[in-house]
Amino acid sequence: MSTRNTAAEKLLLQMVDDYTAREVAPLDMAIDHAQDYPEGFMKKLTETGFLGLMLPQEFGGAEFGPEVTATVLNHLARGNASTAVTLEGHFKTIDQILKFGTPALKQALLPSANQRIFAFSMTEASGGSNPMGISSTATREGDHWVINGDKIMITNGGLAQVYCVLVKTAPDQLSVFVVDQDMPGFSFGKREDFIGLRGTPVGEIMMDHIIVDDDHLLGHLGDGGLIGDSAHDDARILMGAVLTGIMEHELKIATDYAKERKAGDKPLTELQVTHRKVADIAMRKETTKLLYQRAAQLKAAGQPYSEEAAMAKAHGSRAAVAAGDDALQILAGYGYSREYPVEHLIRDARAMEIAEGTVEKMRSAIATAEFQK
Amino acid sequence: MKIVVCIKQVPETNDVTIDPKTHNLDRRGLAGVMNPFDKNAVEQALQFKATTDAQVVLLSMGPDDYAQSLREGMAMGADSGVLLSDRAFAGADTLATGYVIAKAIEKIGDVDLVIFGRQAVDADTGQVGPIVAEFLQQPQITYAATLRLSGPNEVTAERLLEDTKQTLVAQLPAVVSVRSELNPPRYPTPRNIQLSFEKPLTIWHHDDLDLDDSRLGQAGSPTIVTKVYAPKPVKRELTPLTGTPQEAASQLIKALKDRQLL
Repeated sequence: MSTRNTAAEKLLLQMVDDYTAREVAPLDMAIDHAQDYPEGFMKKLTETGFLGLMLPQEFGGAEFGPEVTATVLNHLARGNASTAVTLEGHFKTIDQILKFGTPALKQALLPSANQRIFAFSMTEASGGSNPMGISSTATREGDHWVINGDKIMITNGGLAQVYCVLVKTAPDQLSVFVVDQDMPGFSFGKREDFIGLRGTPVGEIMMDHIIVDDDHLLGHLGDGGLIGDSAHDDARILMGAVLTGIMEHELKIATDYAKERKAGDKPLTELQVTHRKVADIAMRKETTKLLYQRAAQLKAAGQPYSEEAAMAKAHGSRAAVAAGDDALQILAGYGYSREYPVEHLIRDARAMEIAEGTVEKMRSAIATAEFQK
Repeated sequence: MKIVVCIKQVPETNDVTIDPKTHNLDRRGLAGVMNPFDKNAVEQALQFKATTDAQVVLLSMGPDDYAQSLREGMAMGADSGVLLSDRAFAGADTLATGYVIAKAIEKIGDVDLVIFGRQAVDADTGQVGPIVAEFLQQPQITYAATLRLSGPNEVTAERLLEDTKQTLVAQLPAVVSVRSELNPPRYPTPRNIQLSFEKPLTIWHHDDLDLDDSRLGQAGSPTIVTKVYAPKPVKRELTPLTGTPQEAASQLIKALKDRQLL
């Protein structure tokens, strides 16, 4: 890595830490309680250029690589995990347009990705982990396509303006089209009332006879499964980074409290039970960090990273829930109170045992990859 | 219009220790960041740039790693940076620092406005800006809480002191030091961080400037730190001067004579 890259990354992380400390962390509790970002929050995030972090410079972005992008989300998540997950949903979608889009599609869409949030939508009421079970369709009519169907549980659904949607273009053929919230026939449904990551909107879109031309097809007809898998892989690396940030937050709360609190006449820092819990949180945090960084390095090097990305998310999500439980126990009654952030960090982490593929599905993917070796 | 903003890199932490031998700050091994007040100075210059097409040059003196803060300022939007770095400048107090900075500003040439942060958060002297103004023989306004271009060749500032506020007008070229009340500084965007590395950053060593060696470094620094302690705040009596400038001058002379200062 060149000196210039290192210097730019150092400056970037310095800015991200400053931004997180001033603009994000102070709002962490309020975001959870309000189940939304405060007014102006996303505007400032956008104006500060976060949406273009990994976007190539030719489209007006900063063009930082996969490792730096993941590290930025790691640092942001120390302040608020929802904010980092909103960016994760945006980045994974941009990544697919970069990988599979035609030059014309990229040119048409990506310059606006600095200002507009993009989202990837696969799940439907009929199922999440079985893409062939979806019922949304794109039907050829003359020289254009007509898209119909409803999508649910979309990260940034309602907040995003551009959506990559997985549809059937034939009974056994999955494809991805890009639609815009301004297109006739596009509407938003309800927002989910989830228990964690409550700042990140997760919502529903309805597509009723949306007409698009061939330019809106991402990749080729039949690439839907491939693009969906790729989006999952990219998202899982970033989720490993977000989970690391959550655990760093949990660790800080636990150690700050233990340094101040006494049990009887002994400080908590002198009790072996505290040592064990703090050490476990630290080890979980560090292993997750190594896993997501490893997956990001492989991605940056152009090597396969699907298995490592699954490991980062599967290990990290369980680890962050367990680390939160340990932190809660150190804080005892305060940990169980909604006035302290530990309980919402557990709820935030719990989302990632499900989102972007369940932990069970991750284990299956990891085991399958191992059997094939 | 050409604006020079003088910035300093300071330790990131508050845990700065004092060297027991020299009584100076021990900055060894500490990560550096741009002095927070200097960000207000950069922001003000960029706001002038937005309305006047001013050219904004950042200037700093220190070791090579101070380039990081210059890059940060360029990522905020400044056009270029100059770093004054040479072993001959090491150990300089505020006078020796001000001398080299003033010489560099003369070399940059045609500078209309020099802006400093009110003070650096490591040494907290606030002296370098005024010293530079004296070397350049230019008017100076310190502790500006507002600053605007009030004419083609002048700036107007509200100078905020502990218990009073003054409105001052200075003809350009001038030197101004600014307070944090002036503005919320912008964050450098990720894209501008990348692009800042395309902007020119020049390093000037000893031989690049026309300098009197006796004024440099430790040898050129009359300051001797004998003791470091937090001074107790002193509440001073304030007597406003009123009436016409002639009347106010008479009151001032009388007040000074009464105190046997004249």
